[in-house]
Amino acid sequence: MKIEKVMTKKIEYIEADACVYDAIEKMVDRRIRSLVVKPRDEKDVYGVVTVRDIVFKVLGKNLDPGKIRVEEIASRPVVSIDRDMEIEHVISLMNKFNITRVFVHEGKEIIGVVSLLDVMADSLIERAKGGRVA
Amino acid sequence: MLEKVFFGGKTEQKVIENIKRHIKILCSASDCFKKAIEERNKDLMFCVPDLEREGDSIRREIVSNIYEGAFLPFLRSNICRFVEIVDEAFDVLEDAAYEFEYLGSKLDEEIEDDCIKIADINLKMCEMLLIAFETLFSKEDLREKNLAIRIYEKKVDEIKFDLIEKLREKEVKSFWEGKILSDFISYLTRVSDVIEDASDYLYIMNVSLR
Repeated sequence: MKIEKVMTKKIEYIEADACVYDAIEKMVDRRIRSLVVKPRDEKDVYGVVTVRDIVFKVLGKNLDPGKIRVEEIASRPVVSIDRDMEIEHVISLMNKFNITRVFVHEGKEIIGVVSLLDVMADSLIERAKGGRVA
Repeated sequence: MLEKVFFGGKTEQKVIENIKRHIKILCSASDCFKKAIEERNKDLMFCVPDLEREGDSIRREIVSNIYEGAFLPFLRSNICRFVEIVDEAFDVLEDAAYEFEYLGSKLDEEIEDDCIKIADINLKMCEMLLIAFETLFSKEDLREKNLAIRIYEKKVDEIKFDLIEKLREKEVKSFWEGKILSDFISYLTRVSDVIEDASDYLYIMNVSLR
């Protein structure tokens, strides 16, 4: 199955120089577990900050989320894949890099994200369909 | 042998075929509903009440056949209840179709995208319900189909929460405009709940037959 059919188009962005507290607020408000960090300039690349980064790199170390910038804890570049790729590639990337979400790009733009849960849910649906078309 | 005892008779087969037809018509109504929203064409929406009426007449036929003596008595009420839940899905879809006719082209693009996504998932859920019903008479695992329907329902729930947040930020110009939009979203998102109920009931029927 093509990635395009599985991916979620709901992506939230945050500026690289925003503080971690802003990221926390955004994640809580939107009920999401990661934010795409915008490039600072044309030479820069997209990054990603996850709940995991915030908990382990900031809150777990008793650091002040209001004083730390998102770019300090973000991972970059993001692991991304072309929209025409098959889901098997996503699974192998997740396995290889031990990550739970892979972004989907079209040219230089990020257009979606596929999470481990999306892969599992769609695999189960395909299994339930059993190759049949109702 | 068990399948023959429970479902093998002529009247039983007639009921089973009619239930399949009933669900297939629900799929057609959901497909029609989706196309009408995609094309912003409220005239296309007229097929939904038409198909609902067709569904109604099939439901009456199914219930009559059952009370004429199809199936063992302990199965009859369960089958009737399942058919009634599917019929409820028709009713909710029809209510959503009527509200859409009043809405016309007043649906914001941002809201429209989410509504199309929900309509698409509703259609996929109907198709999966048909597969699940057919599974009742095969050796396949109904549990997987039931899980797939629950996954679809969770997806609708997620979109619904986003949609409600967007609606809260929207300026309402009149009471009726707000009410119609709110009712439309409520009916649209309720279809998946009803299909999930039908799937759960199917699962209970399956367990009771073991």
